[in-house]
Amino acid sequence: MKGFASILPGSTIGWRATRSAILPVIVLIALLLIIGVSVSDRFGTARNLWNVYEQSTGLALVSLGQTLVILTGGIDLSVGSMISLLSELISGSIDGDASLVLPVLVGVIMLGALLGAINGACIVLLRVHPLIVTLGTGATLQGLTLLYSSHPPGKVPDGFDEIAYGRLFDIPMGASVAVLLVLLTALFLRYAPFGRYIFAVGGDESAARLMGLPLDRVIVFAYGFSGFCCALTAIFLVARFGVGQPYAGYNFTLGSITPVVIGGTLLSGGKGGVLGTLLGVYLLGLLYNVLNYVGIPTDWQLLVQGLVVILAVSIYVQKRKVI
Amino acid sequence: MAAETAKQTSSLRHLRSAARRLFAQVSIYIAFALLLAIAEIASPAFLSGSNISNMLQQVAPLGIVVIGQTLVIVVRGLDLSVGSVMATAAVAATAFNGLDSDVFPIIGVSLLIGLGTGLANGLLITKRSVPPFLATLAMWIVLEGCRYAYNGGAPSGNVPAFFRVIGAGSFHGIPYNILIMAAIAAVFVVILHVSTFGRRVFLVGGNPVMARLVGIRVDRVVIASYVLSGLLAATAGLVLSGFVGLVDNFVGRGFELDSIVAAVLGGVALSGGRGTILGALVGAAILVAITNAVLLLGLPIQFQLIIKGIVIVIAAALHVRTAAAP
Repeated sequence: MKGFASILPGSTIGWRATRSAILPVIVLIALLLIIGVSVSDRFGTARNLWNVYEQSTGLALVSLGQTLVILTGGIDLSVGSMISLLSELISGSIDGDASLVLPVLVGVIMLGALLGAINGACIVLLRVHPLIVTLGTGATLQGLTLLYSSHPPGKVPDGFDEIAYGRLFDIPMGASVAVLLVLLTALFLRYAPFGRYIFAVGGDESAARLMGLPLDRVIVFAYGFSGFCCALTAIFLVARFGVGQPYAGYNFTLGSITPVVIGGTLLSGGKGGVLGTLLGVYLLGLLYNVLNYVGIPTDWQLLVQGLVVILAVSIYVQKRKVI
Repeated sequence: MAAETAKQTSSLRHLRSAARRLFAQVSIYIAFALLLAIAEIASPAFLSGSNISNMLQQVAPLGIVVIGQTLVIVVRGLDLSVGSVMATAAVAATAFNGLDSDVFPIIGVSLLIGLGTGLANGLLITKRSVPPFLATLAMWIVLEGCRYAYNGGAPSGNVPAFFRVIGAGSFHGIPYNILIMAAIAAVFVVILHVSTFGRRVFLVGGNPVMARLVGIRVDRVVIASYVLSGLLAATAGLVLSGFVGLVDNFVGRGFELDSIVAAVLGGVALSGGRGTILGALVGAAILVAITNAVLLLGLPIQFQLIIKGIVIVIAAALHVRTAAAP
């Protein structure tokens, strides 16, 4: 029944539901902005805020894919290794040759989607918990990454950093492309039948099966999309740092889950959305930034972040319970 | 006549399902034996006395953590904070003067850290209904934050010699730390598989609603499981700090996921309500044996991760097949 309800308009994926789910994030972001502006003159400048926007791109892209996976009731713990592997492949195979940029990037994006789809296929065919499958493929991919190169390989041609740092009228372009992708995905989830199936599968898998939804394809698609997002993240990171690294994605494995959950998507699946995730990403980005301006020593920042995460998630769940 | 045939097929089916269940239970031990045999054939040094002692020493800290992880997974949870608890306990062990007279205060402080973390995990999960994955992940970050706030990322000081003996010493070839693990395992086999508390744990994991209806205080059982997991992780942290000698902020890194994998390999169902301590320990032994075999075979170290990853998925898939069969 739950699955049936969740593909009807106005229940869990309508704008009203989205609005109430992302309200706490918006309040927290507003709070951070107020704190930031009141402690420092430089915080509120366009320069600083554009920087936060620009630096959030990597996390925004991984978390976008992670959101779709979590909406199906799964989890993707292979994203970190996938990003590391793809980032090495980008700089290693381009190796300074500008003419190779386009084919390599296209190839890496396809490879990312393929690796993600393999995750999905393993989950569907082997009927193993996604946590275990992606943990396993993650370990395998990390091994392959280190086998390919245990130090940053190759280099990228001049101008490649435009992908991360390029600006048009002062607006960071790479970051804006990521935001555009999030918006497109939000529309896809809201209006395309296949997008709605994602909610249905996460809401109640057996109900979705009884309704004859293409369950397996939905799951393979979600993981494939996550792999695609990992490839984009890898491209962004290589553009930012100038080279791929064997542990480039390490922190994203668990880091990509935090914004999803802060953004109101339930870990059990079926409820949430990508817009909340994007706001969650900005919340974390602003938090880092504000902590710096407030003058909290670096050694204490991690502790504060952890406490904020606990605060954010415990507020949410309480709210959900009431509903 | 027809009824008789039906009866026969039904009894046959019973027999077959019983055989399947038996196979599901013993398959992990068969797999372990096969692994040992293959590794021994590939490299005769594998089952030598010194290498066995070496592997036992490595399996002890993981084994201690896995026991707690099993408890938590059986009540439908997950504990991602164990690695961070281990590191925090280890850092606490270096915070004193490094004298043997500090052993009791160190053990006390470490266990308090484990207790506090487990309590926080349990309360977040039961009272605020935060998903276990998230609550324990957040506690992981908080503890890591505490360590940085305390030492700025550069711990100083030594663990007392006592812990070095416990962690790295051995008694006639039998490492002390495996003896500690065995003692803890024996206690927890009784707790989980014999005591009333253990029955409650399985009931809560198998069917929380039913457990509540028969009068079990579900929240308390869940909180107790996380507290026990925290205490065990702190103990493992002390044992591991004695094993590695040099303590840094990341001494237990990777144990959170390895312990989950070991439990799943050992037949503990992530959906809760099913699993044994012994199976989980064999799961831990398999992980250590794989790592060791890769080294002995002279394969590049990267293959450890690749082979481990593949084995995890295949083993879990086999479990699902045998467990899901009627």
